[in-house]
Amino acid sequence: MKKEDMVKLISAEGFEFVIDKDAAMVSQTIYNMLTSPGSFAETQHGEVTFPEISTTILEKICNGKETEFPIEPELTLELMMAANYLHT
Amino acid sequence: MSGQKKKNFQIEAFKHRVMVDPKYAEKTWKILEHAIQEIYNHNASGLSFEELYRNAYNMVLHKFGEKLYSGLVTTMTSHLSDISKSIEAAQGELFLEELNRKWLDHNKALQMIRDILMYMDRTFIPSTNKTPVHELGLNLWRDVVIHSSKTQIRLQDTLLELVHRERNGEVINRGLMRSIIKMLMDLGSSVYQDDFEQHFLEVSANFYGLESQQYIESCDCGDYLKKAERRLNEETERVSHYLDARSLEKITNVVEKEMIENHMHRLVHMENSGLVNMLVNDKYDDLGRKYNLFRRVANGGLLIVRDVMTSYIRDTGKQLVTDPERLKDPVDFVQRLLDLKDKYDKIISLAFNNDKTFQNALNSSFEYFINLNARSPEFISLFVDDKLRKGLKGVSEEDVEVVLDKVMMLFRYLQEKDVFEKYYKQHLAKRLLAGKTVSDDAERSLIVKLKTECGYQFTSKLEGMFTDMKTSQDTMQGFHESLGAELGDSPSLTVQVLTTGSWPTQPSATCNLPAEILGVCEKFRSYYLGTHTGRRLSWQTNMGTADLKAIFGKGQKHELNVSTYQMCVLMLFNNADRLSYKEIEQATEIPASDLKRCLQSLACARVKSVLRKEPIGRDIAEDDAFSVNDKFSSKLYKVRISTVAAQRESEPENQETRQRVEEDRKPQIEAAIVRIMKSRRVLDHNNIVAEVIKQLQSRFLPNPVVIKKRIESLIEREFLERDKNDRKLYRYLA
Repeated sequence: MKKEDMVKLISAEGFEFVIDKDAAMVSQTIYNMLTSPGSFAETQHGEVTFPEISTTILEKICNGKETEFPIEPELTLELMMAANYLHT
Repeated sequence: MSGQKKKNFQIEAFKHRVMVDPKYAEKTWKILEHAIQEIYNHNASGLSFEELYRNAYNMVLHKFGEKLYSGLVTTMTSHLSDISKSIEAAQGELFLEELNRKWLDHNKALQMIRDILMYMDRTFIPSTNKTPVHELGLNLWRDVVIHSSKTQIRLQDTLLELVHRERNGEVINRGLMRSIIKMLMDLGSSVYQDDFEQHFLEVSANFYGLESQQYIESCDCGDYLKKAERRLNEETERVSHYLDARSLEKITNVVEKEMIENHMHRLVHMENSGLVNMLVNDKYDDLGRKYNLFRRVANGGLLIVRDVMTSYIRDTGKQLVTDPERLKDPVDFVQRLLDLKDKYDKIISLAFNNDKTFQNALNSSFEYFINLNARSPEFISLFVDDKLRKGLKGVSEEDVEVVLDKVMMLFRYLQEKDVFEKYYKQHLAKRLLAGKTVSDDAERSLIVKLKTECGYQFTSKLEGMFTDMKTSQDTMQGFHESLGAELGDSPSLTVQVLTTGSWPTQPSATCNLPAEILGVCEKFRSYYLGTHTGRRLSWQTNMGTADLKAIFGKGQKHELNVSTYQMCVLMLFNNADRLSYKEIEQATEIPASDLKRCLQSLACARVKSVLRKEPIGRDIAEDDAFSVNDKFSSKLYKVRISTVAAQRESEPENQETRQRVEEDRKPQIEAAIVRIMKSRRVLDHNNIVAEVIKQLQSRFLPNPVVIKKRIESLIEREFLERDKNDRKLYRYLA
């Protein structure tokens, strides 16, 4: 897949997830980040840093785009907050 | 995201670490405010969307939505004030360009701002019923920039000025215009209407009011309409290029009202170039333009056109049918009617879009004036007669149909179809008996058309005539087969046996036939009555023709084609050199008027008279004497001696035919009355009259006075009676 079709998502701990741009843009927030007119840093570099989302959660979110998966009960709240933030 | 989930976040929010900082809200807003400034200054590159979004997100989440929102309003307002000043400062033509540039900037900035504040748009704004960011940005632009005291009027004037210049033929920057108008539309349809459209329509009305006044004074109708049409096209084009599509109807209404509706009467009646002039000169383009433009005017634009056309056709037609000059030549008379119809058919199809209402107007006009002349039915029949005798010779079958269809069209306009039938029968009889018809197919085709139009009754007698002709042929064949030898060298005889009633024969005195002829005639009579018992044969000597072989003084031999009467006269000269009028009259017993006409044709023709009259003169007098003209000469062997017979009926004949028509109508009216009363039993006078007219109008228009007389006659004969209480009521007596 071409580089332009991918986007790098970076967690609070600095872990990087490179995923398909179209999949990432299921999140309205990420969609706006990458498409808003003008040139925000995210659009320029094709990467987004989320200082408030932990690696565990970001991983779940990245996977979640693909299939259904079991969620540990203690993560539920944090995951929902992230979902609200990302508007998915 | 459902409300249930949102609530969960709200409950847990207090755990969040950033809440600790008491200056959190102020600090966070400063970051966002700075970002908004940078966005307006085109410095957004490098800003982190995530950071800005997160800050706005957190502010809303931590109940600082109100601060965020009011901060946004203040910041944006102040930016727009600066922008407004820079637009106001723009000089002359740069004004619109500056406005447009700033508008595009604002739009882009607004979208970026909305994106980073999306969380506020999503949650805080709906729950507090505030205006969403994008709409807020447009409203502020409207209030701060567009409605600034210095800009509002200037913008309006600039736009209208550009339109005005374009109307005067200048080229303007339509792209810029479109962009600015689009801006007004984006700000809401009321902004477009109040700040532009309303004034645009007013100014346009003034412009076209003045222009049309000027044009109507200086142009003829055709040019004026061309100009109006061009203006309408221009306005339509203008709308499609840079105005709201919904303005199209409004602006075209303005042009229509100012340029067409306000001047309709003047345009139609314009001297030397108005509607009548266009009609007279078949100006299809101008007429088409007039039709299309006037059709746009809701309040009877076409009505005026149609009325003027109708009254003009009526006048023309009336002049045509009442012109005594025209009455001299019936064929020409009908041809002119057909030409007139063709002319207007063409106009209606080429210029008036085949408009049904115009076709109806044309038809009713023809119906009106054709019936102004009581001789129209006779003339139409004469026209057919002319066509079927010679006019259609060598014409293809399709073309014959075309002519016949046209005749049928005129026939449809006739109110007195029964009068036509009378004449048609007479003319057809003459054609058939003289063997003068061009095409049997054409004859039959017309009969079929008449039948389709008026029903079986109308044509049954006409068809009877064709049957008689056919039967006569067979009879003659039989006669010659059975008596051929017996006849020897007596004159050959051809008899047409006509059924009384089917033919327009009048009981007329039989003249004295020469002995040679009489013998053959008697043989035929006994042959015919031998095969058809119970019938009566009488000779119609006023209708036949004869071919005579004649040798004149210097031995010149000719075959003369003459009428039966003429034959009777000429045969007398086999035994006499000179005969007086009285002697001829006595010998032949031909009715005086017919005899005079017959002698006139034999003795008074300018070149080749068979007889010589003493004294020489045009008219026949009772003491004239006649002898054979030995000097008769002709280049042709066969000579046809035509009877001096008016093609067209003379006045007394006409009166006579009229009278017969009136007589024939009486039983038809009575039959109609009885039919009606039989089914209705009781009916008042006015309703009977109306019903009778309705039943009979396909044949003729019954006169109410005549209907009344027929009712009275039926009462006398006890078909009907008057009601004892109500004298206006009639009862049917079974």
